[in-house]
Amino acid sequence: MEEQNGEKINKLIIPLAIVVAGVIIAGAIYLSPDKSAAPKNDPSPTNVDNTDVNQQLPQGDTASLDKMTEISNSDHVLGDRNALVKIVEYSDTECPFCKRFHETMNQIMDEYGKDGKVAWVYRHFPLDQLHPKARSEAVAFECANELGGNDKFWSYADRLFAVTPANNGLDAAELPKIAQYVGLDVNKFNTCLSSGKYDKHIEDEVQNAQATGGNGTPWSIVVAKNGKKFPLNGAQPYEAIKQLIELALQEK
Amino acid sequence: MVFQVLLKIFRKPTYIFIAFVTGFVVFAFAVLLPNIPLIVSIMRHPGIPFSQKFNLPISLLGSITTNFTLLSASYTIAIAILFGINLSIIVYYLRRKIAELKQGGIVTGFLGITSGIIGIGCAACGSVLLTSILALFSASWIITLLPLRGGEFGILGVALLLFTIYTTAQQIQNPAVCEI
Repeated sequence: MEEQNGEKINKLIIPLAIVVAGVIIAGAIYLSPDKSAAPKNDPSPTNVDNTDVNQQLPQGDTASLDKMTEISNSDHVLGDRNALVKIVEYSDTECPFCKRFHETMNQIMDEYGKDGKVAWVYRHFPLDQLHPKARSEAVAFECANELGGNDKFWSYADRLFAVTPANNGLDAAELPKIAQYVGLDVNKFNTCLSSGKYDKHIEDEVQNAQATGGNGTPWSIVVAKNGKKFPLNGAQPYEAIKQLIELALQEK
Repeated sequence: MVFQVLLKIFRKPTYIFIAFVTGFVVFAFAVLLPNIPLIVSIMRHPGIPFSQKFNLPISLLGSITTNFTLLSASYTIAIAILFGINLSIIVYYLRRKIAELKQGGIVTGFLGITSGIIGIGCAACGSVLLTSILALFSASWIITLLPLRGGEFGILGVALLLFTIYTTAQQIQNPAVCEI
């Protein structure tokens, strides 16, 4: 009798295990960090209480993409601002995948940027807990823009991504050296770097990245001419981005 | 011993098929997981021809080389392969209808699979499932304390899957006898 009961239990283990695994996966996807939450004052997860977390649910839809701040003149854009497709990237300068994605995006712009098909919009999304240096590097980008305009912003970004070993490995002393390398006034650059005037701007972009559903970097939103938005998570390969651009170009 | 059992099982094409399909599904799930909302949006899009709907997910599979570290890519592939082998040998085991099915082996297999699933994702810049689960307990910061930023769960998954393959193979090897 006892043996028969044991057999019955054993027969139930596999289907039960599959069901439990399914529930765990579905639950985790359903409950993963918010795509539609209101921006929090402090993005640090250590400051998030249970109430906050519960308010973040659910996620997985693309409706939160509409919370993306409209592309404006204050944005840093490579390529034609009126391009058919715009790729808005939220990036962390010390994330190794952002470093890789930066190269891929440069390749994309070589192919699609010249004839006005694609524009690349860069926004800041420093992940402070993983890469505490990323926020001051984001400020450095803004200072490059202030002192040298859009071209210097992109030159500075290209150079920083080229020299940083990523994973919070860039020495802060490199920031003025990069400024000098791209032809900026180093004294003015250092003054700007310590001024704190771009802190709010960067924080606003971080909040916006989270509001649109970003929970890691690089986080990108591909915007078609008709306003249709596609989320793109992570450093995807060139071929995948190309496929997505081609789909977005079909949107009229 | 394990090797012999595996050879015996994978002589039959059915089990190779089960292992291959399961392994591929697990691999695809792991790699595509961060972009499920994008894939759903493409699949639901009425303006995209059916023939083009699958091009993007297929190209996204290439992110195993761009969106994973060497370590996370290694254990993701290992988990997928071991997951496939594990399921195959469990199916083989059940089909033999061995009366003394031991709970331990199957439960450990389940633990291995679960741990493997938890370990999936980009660990360096925010793992997906682990962050989600920990977020429930307001404990995402725990990941930052782990030396491998959550990669530990992937390695644990590989270890448990290896262990369960070993224990299940052992049970298959043991002859079905009535114990006194």
